[in-house]
Amino acid sequence: MEDKKNILIKQARIVDPYLDRDLVSDLFISRGKIEKISGHIEKRDNTEVIEGKQLVVCPGFIDMHVHLRDPGDEMEEDIASGIKAALAGGFTAIACMPNTRPPIDNPYLIDYIKDKAKIHDFSLLPVAAMTKGLKGKQITEMGLLAEHGAVAFSDDGYCVQDSRNMYEIMRYSRQINSLLILHEEDNQFSEGGLVHEGYYSNKFGLEGISPLGEELIIARDIMLAEKTGARIHITHLSSAKSVQLIREAKKNGINISCDVTPHHLYFNHSCLDKLDTNLKVKPPIRDEQDQKALIEGIKDGTIDAVASDHAPHLLEEKNTTLRDAAFGAIGMETSFKASFSKLCIQEKMNLVDLLKLFTLGPAQILKISPPTVKEKQIANLVILDIKSKNKVMPEFISKSSNCPFMGQNLTGQVLYTINNGKLCYKRE
Amino acid sequence: MLAGSSLLRIDDLEPGDVEQILHNTDSFVEVLERKVKKVPALRGKTVANIFFEPSTRTKNSFEIAAKRLSADTINFSSSTSSLKKGESITDTINTIIAMKVNLLVIRHGHSGVLNFLSDRIDLPIINAGDGKNQHPTQALLDLYTIRQKFSQVEGLKVGIVGDYLNSRVARSNVDLFQKMGMEVTVVAPSMFLPGDIKVTKARVAGSIDDIIHKVDVLYMLRMQLERQDRKFYPSIREYNRFLSLNSKRMTAMKKNSMVMHPGPVNRGIEISEELMERITTDKQLANKVFIQKQVTHGVAVRMALLYLILS
Ligand SMILES: [Zn+2]
Repeated sequence: MEDKKNILIKQARIVDPYLDRDLVSDLFISRGKIEKISGHIEKRDNTEVIEGKQLVVCPGFIDMHVHLRDPGDEMEEDIASGIKAALAGGFTAIACMPNTRPPIDNPYLIDYIKDKAKIHDFSLLPVAAMTKGLKGKQITEMGLLAEHGAVAFSDDGYCVQDSRNMYEIMRYSRQINSLLILHEEDNQFSEGGLVHEGYYSNKFGLEGISPLGEELIIARDIMLAEKTGARIHITHLSSAKSVQLIREAKKNGINISCDVTPHHLYFNHSCLDKLDTNLKVKPPIRDEQDQKALIEGIKDGTIDAVASDHAPHLLEEKNTTLRDAAFGAIGMETSFKASFSKLCIQEKMNLVDLLKLFTLGPAQILKISPPTVKEKQIANLVILDIKSKNKVMPEFISKSSNCPFMGQNLTGQVLYTINNGKLCYKRE
Repeated sequence: MLAGSSLLRIDDLEPGDVEQILHNTDSFVEVLERKVKKVPALRGKTVANIFFEPSTRTKNSFEIAAKRLSADTINFSSSTSSLKKGESITDTINTIIAMKVNLLVIRHGHSGVLNFLSDRIDLPIINAGDGKNQHPTQALLDLYTIRQKFSQVEGLKVGIVGDYLNSRVARSNVDLFQKMGMEVTVVAPSMFLPGDIKVTKARVAGSIDDIIHKVDVLYMLRMQLERQDRKFYPSIREYNRFLSLNSKRMTAMKKNSMVMHPGPVNRGIEISEELMERITTDKQLANKVFIQKQVTHGVAVRMALLYLILS
């Protein structure tokens, strides 16, 4: 590997949610680490200088919910392209979900993912299946999977319908001290459904998905977690009642956390008026009250992280009718700017609080060391321009382009991503 | 105003457009009464009838309408399942367009599919029914039928009875009737309504007996047995008790009122066997039932639409 170039960032606003720090300074990176943060640092040889005036430097983002489609559907995305897309979105660590083909339900597949990520010197955190084949029945070798490097367990894309099975999965996860990431969906309420059940599903005669299906399962899993002491994380919540249930559970001391996607924050079901298949996601984008409640949940700390649920699909899976289209949207490259536009520009949230959801929040959930901008730390950093506003164009680094934000004017760009001290992404 | 444009849903029409269509329908009803039921209005134009979902009535109605206007027609039928992906639907349509047709009449089993197609092709489309979404020409012919009887439709009370949830006829009719100032009540049990009742703009009643004596128009929906993926409704017996029209209920109706149905009637479900029989013998009863008239008006309304869009 070639020698890493030094990087000198001049006069940037350094924002660190972990140290709760927000100051303007120079920052020098050498041999992969942050060597110095100081008011004025002289340029040395072999140094790339980044003029940081007007820019924000913060810890590299963590996306705890992405789909890389590798193995099985590498046409849509693979580990290499997924890592590139992550870097373009400012992420220096991502957790990839196990619903690949075959699903990540045995230790050798964890090794496969880790090996492929190693080539890119990137922190790829594999999540393993909770049940064999994601079928909701036989529990996977959770102990072995954890030993091989699974950071958490999930049947994402599916939900264990059998409550007794879920109870046993929770008991075992507690015993081996692992995190469960839960996709909450009662199939009886969502089967055949395409979009949120409400005004727009009725307007267009589209089969609806009631939020009750999500809420019932969350209520169930809170009760099971209370009983078993399991550590659970509810991913991609969509409804007001879901937020309320988790808020109360936290108050009652349940070991629970949750995340929300940028598209559930940014849109509500009125976006369906265009019947854009890129907005067909699971759980569906719900109504104004739900959207408001999600934002409220962010503001009061009920929601711990923003996660993209990056779900790449081939053009032909989306270039079809709403009924035939696949569920899911890509999101890593737009995650920050969509969230920033909604939460900081529209909702006047402060930047440090938003960055917490992209850095400290997911790190604490996944129990990895907190990303921070500190001397002697490995340099995992993002440099942002939070002033510039741009239209999302159909050019993505991801192999897929099923992005619901296409055509939206979003504020806040990722300009550079520094991963392990190396400049790995630079916005053209 | 309508020239060259598509009709995908009732929302696309302003009340003025509706007036224009109904006005033209009048003259075509008159044409249909003539000995030679044909005018040269659309000579040289070609209408493509594209049906991805089986239908006899609507397809015939559009075809006759086009022919009465001296347009040429080509027909394409295919089941939705053999044209699964969006690409292949677009390909099929583009092949038909390449035959230099002037207008597309399309039916498809998926709600909203015509929005998908209209973004990708450049010809006027008339929606002949898409999924559970809309069936605007049915709504127009129903409105025409009502207006023929009442001349003034504003303020009329309409009851729409049956499976609202799965019915494109119900959706487009509620939209159109409300647009024209009628007072609509949907009569449906909860499982035939969207999960959140607030989402229908109309009032809701649970039994036909709640409204039967008040309405000017009683619109019986066809029970879409094939479109209910899961059968939540308890039984036909239950249906008969709360939703079916029978002789007894019919006598409770206002003197100057009418019964409609988009056809074909499921005898013994929406309308009782016994009433269906009596309609054939009892002239007074028969005068209240407009099911056959609806079919006739269907041709005339479609002629008016084709004429307004293509000429
Ligand atoms: Zn999921």
